[in-house]
Amino acid sequence: MVDLKHDVLIVGAGLSGLRAAIEIIDTHDVAVVTKVHSLRSHSVAAQGGINAAMSIEDSWESHAFDTVKGSDYLADQDVVEVLTKNAPSVVIENELWGTAFSRTEDGTIAQRPFGGAAYPRTCYAADRTGHNLLHTTFEQAMRKGVKFYDEWFVTSLVRSDDRIVGVTALEIATGKVLGIGAKAVILATGGFGQVYGRSTNALINTGDGCGLALRAGVPLKDMEFIQFHPTGLKGSNILITEGARGEGGYLLNSKGERFMKEYAPEKMELAPRDIVARAIQTEVDEGRGFEGGYVHLDLIHLGAAKIKDRLPGIREISMDFAGVDPIEAPIPVVPTQHYSMGGIDCDKNGTTPLNGLFAVGETACMSVHGANRLGGNSLLETLVFGRIVGKNASEYSANAKDPDAEALDNATFAMRERIQAILMNESGELCAELRELMGATMDNDVGVFRDPRRMEGALKVIEMIQERFENVSIPRSDDRFNYALIRTLELENMLQLAYAITAGAIWREESRGAHWRIDHPKRDDDRFLKHTLITLIDGEMKIGTKDVNLGKFEVKERTY
Amino acid sequence: MLFRVARSRDGGTVSHYDLYKVDVKKGMTVLDALFQIQDKMDPSISFRYSCRGAVCGSCAMLINKEPRLACKTQVSDLNDLNMNLKPFPAITDLPPGWNSNEEVLVEPLPNLPILKDLIVDMTRFYNALESLKLWAEPAEGEKARIQSPSDRRKMERYVNCIMCALCFGSCPVNAEKKEYVGPSALAKAWRFHEDSRTADKDRYLKAAIAPEGAPLCDLIMNCVKACPKGVAPGGVIRKIKKAS
Ligand code: SF4
Ligand code: FES
Repeated sequence: MVDLKHDVLIVGAGLSGLRAAIEIIDTHDVAVVTKVHSLRSHSVAAQGGINAAMSIEDSWESHAFDTVKGSDYLADQDVVEVLTKNAPSVVIENELWGTAFSRTEDGTIAQRPFGGAAYPRTCYAADRTGHNLLHTTFEQAMRKGVKFYDEWFVTSLVRSDDRIVGVTALEIATGKVLGIGAKAVILATGGFGQVYGRSTNALINTGDGCGLALRAGVPLKDMEFIQFHPTGLKGSNILITEGARGEGGYLLNSKGERFMKEYAPEKMELAPRDIVARAIQTEVDEGRGFEGGYVHLDLIHLGAAKIKDRLPGIREISMDFAGVDPIEAPIPVVPTQHYSMGGIDCDKNGTTPLNGLFAVGETACMSVHGANRLGGNSLLETLVFGRIVGKNASEYSANAKDPDAEALDNATFAMRERIQAILMNESGELCAELRELMGATMDNDVGVFRDPRRMEGALKVIEMIQERFENVSIPRSDDRFNYALIRTLELENMLQLAYAITAGAIWREESRGAHWRIDHPKRDDDRFLKHTLITLIDGEMKIGTKDVNLGKFEVKERTY
Repeated sequence: MLFRVARSRDGGTVSHYDLYKVDVKKGMTVLDALFQIQDKMDPSISFRYSCRGAVCGSCAMLINKEPRLACKTQVSDLNDLNMNLKPFPAITDLPPGWNSNEEVLVEPLPNLPILKDLIVDMTRFYNALESLKLWAEPAEGEKARIQSPSDRRKMERYVNCIMCALCFGSCPVNAEKKEYVGPSALAKAWRFHEDSRTADKDRYLKAAIAPEGAPLCDLIMNCVKACPKGVAPGGVIRKIKKAS
């Protein structure tokens, strides 16, 4: 029997999930299931800001154009329109909720220049914008009385016929697997950076939502488009915001040259991320990096006052994790996996091909970022589409029948058996070893520059790891707070995503945005101006395509 | 390097300590060391984590008897650290057999019930946010409000709080009095009180000076020393006491 039941169930308590919950709670019974407490979500780590055309010189059209051009024309332009038109209203909404945005002298919300943008349109709260937005949005969710299942890990989506009826989930505190019935489920689980060994992402960013959707037969879209942030801190891979360059920071090679002049003479350090990341990688590969393979991000000329005022978090991170005070010395940086443009295939309302299943935020692929996301557009995506998808899911649930309890019970029973089987396996493969192998393979073979032969090799390695995973074992663990088990279940999700990323990257024989093929260094609109779809059919990943919604902006060559 | 880690399979109290030999690498944090233990030696060990960059507030614990974020604490720095906390039993009672010269001692954050190993029950800590209603009443209107940079600066310190509960775990009053809402909740109340945009500033002050709030604080200032984000809640509580 089903004890737990809601109209709408949201998986993930970052900004997307919270914003959706706030939208729904006035009219429907909603709950949020999350593997970590909301305030520990990765949204908290977003630094630089949130884009909105707020000034009189700026316009949503200009923001939309920059986003589409930044996407290397793979973004769906109707979705971009929704994103950019709604941008000012969500920034204002969060201000009215109390977010402590940084201010200009006249007291309006301050905006800084960001990569690939025609105007300074990135609103910020020092370099802790995600932290401020998340805490404020969480406060509002608390005010409204949103129900949270904190520290529950969703293990499967349950469908009955052609619709979703709920999820099975593991209560981490007890180790029990329970079913939660729902008329509608929104996946808001964030990105999957941990597929790579070197990522700026939190350790919890394991793409669980994408894994769940894939196994429920829902396609993933554009998975090969992985953003490498130009400036991950060398060693610990922690993010150093684009805001550091927005405030005037220089990138220098070992000869002391501002090498961006060779790659993007106009925009220099503020070219979009894909271009800057490739430039840094090229400098390093051609021997102009520093010993150990990195370049310098130099902020010294900004002066102590500006660094302390605008970039205090960056200073703290550099000192704590690299022993460098940016007031006195340059920060060592390398391109590092940062964002997943791809995700669960859905439209601008979050609707997926499975009835009752919705997706939003980084886990979704509405195709708003195309082949390369602009900095400042991801926080924006969470709030704009959290609201819209929340509304859409509650409307759906209002007309949906009660979920099929029997299907849920059966799925819960089966999941219990499956987890028992893993726990009973006394000797076998170690999860950590497999995870490290996956991470190293993705770092080395599916990185900034992609060689098809190496990717074919990577695909074989991933298949081999998947086979070994069948015999994974967690010897001597406990039922309660079994994080070794959670990490194992996360790895299962990630292996599927690693496969999808690599398969997509092999299939796409062109270079577009963040996806660069050394054997096809040009964009090929005739063959590849389309989205990649990957669907799991009878245990095999099948590749298909979907058209791009063009319309407003003509597809052109992309230079900066 | 040896790590002596507090264990509690069923929660409640520390049942025993396990000793692990960790292969320390350059730049390794205490959180990295715990992962090495979980990955390679003992999958049954439980601890919380998320960002590994000292911004999410998940990994508060007691390291060598001082409350710290595991992900922010470099193993190589451990010998030179000293918070100079005012003593109370949780940080002065030493486990038998601990050799402080050779072993890193890792224990759950004090003042909250132990659930398992290094995981504590944060309910009481989170509940304070709700009982004090620590949120803004949304303002009406279509436009963002105006706030001068200097007004914004007044609350800067307090908005930086990551809700890690290190202050709560370092406070001798929290150790004694279960009803005390703790330093961070009071700092957050003051954040709204100080916000030039807040209409009903009194509400937050009232919440902060309720009997389970600022009156319980003895201005011991352990919270100021333990806070990893420079929030300095103790200084705020002094202000709250004055304002009331
Ligand atoms: S005040 Fe400091 S120690 Fe206390 S919860 Fe906030 S950040 Fe942590
Ligand atoms: S893991 Fe986020 S603060 Fe330590």
